[in-house]
Amino acid sequence: MSKNSGFRQGVQLAFRLGTELTVATIIGGLMGYALDSFFEIKPWGLVVGVVFGVVAGCLGVYRVATKMNIEDEDTNNNLE
Amino acid sequence: MENPLHHFEVHNIIPIHIGGLDLSISNAVIAMWVGLALVGSMFVLPSKRGLSLVPGKLQSVLEIAMEFIRNMVYEFIGEEEGKKYIPFIASLFLFILACNLIGMVPGSYTITCQIVVTGVFAIGIFIMTLVIGFSKHGLHFLGILIPPGIPKVLIPLMIPIEIISMIARPVSLSVRLFANMTAGHTILAVLFGLAGASLMIGWLPFGFTIAINGLEIAIAFIQAYIFTILTCVYIGDVIHLH
Repeated sequence: MSKNSGFRQGVQLAFRLGTELTVATIIGGLMGYALDSFFEIKPWGLVVGVVFGVVAGCLGVYRVATKMNIEDEDTNNNLE
Repeated sequence: MENPLHHFEVHNIIPIHIGGLDLSISNAVIAMWVGLALVGSMFVLPSKRGLSLVPGKLQSVLEIAMEFIRNMVYEFIGEEEGKKYIPFIASLFLFILACNLIGMVPGSYTITCQIVVTGVFAIGIFIMTLVIGFSKHGLHFLGILIPPGIPKVLIPLMIPIEIISMIARPVSLSVRLFANMTAGHTILAVLFGLAGASLMIGWLPFGFTIAINGLEIAIAFIQAYIFTILTCVYIGDVIHLH
């Protein structure tokens, strides 16, 4: 597309991945904690919530990474 | 030594209290108004005055900025659907950039250092993406919670995970801008404090502040850019469902 689209993609990814991983874990934990105090099932809500949060964060990073891989292969094929 | 966090404090300049509501005009509000006025006077007034076919100095800067934003929108939302989001994305980018840069003027206030401000931006964008998704796809929009090609057994497991990652988006959007701006300004304040601490070695932190000032201007651009590009990505995600 545009000529510096590679740079854009790179900057966007660099700032996106780090925060997304941590924030998803924190959000999962907080939601679990809220469920704990709501249904009084301490500590299981927090435990399950953190696990779900970690999974959500890893899944997001994994998705972005696979997309990046495909784009890389595309550009390599075009060069050859 | 001066408290390095004191320039984040909000002071009321013109106190206004209406029925228990604190609507005072503070230094943060004034910084925001200056940002609005800057963007407005740079972009709205020249276009009202009439644009020339051969652009002058100001007009060519504005055209480059708008072209940059347009390319960004086309890349992440698509040419067809993206057109109607260009005004929104452009005003978001220019306003955040203006506020970040105003914060670099010594003695002024950086409103993007307040998580309230960035949080309201991010929540507004989040609600906007939900509205766009539901109005475009109807109830099919809930399919965004189920990624394509997963076995049926995993669906109850995937829905909470997808909900968490949806909610994490506005949080990470607001925290990223807020944290970057706050950290940079705190580092600057600490280094300035050290520069004043002793005359013998004070030139060393003072030299660093000059370097970090340049870095902070770059961060102001990059963070405004990241914020808008992720807005584009999120809008694009709800428009092209999988």
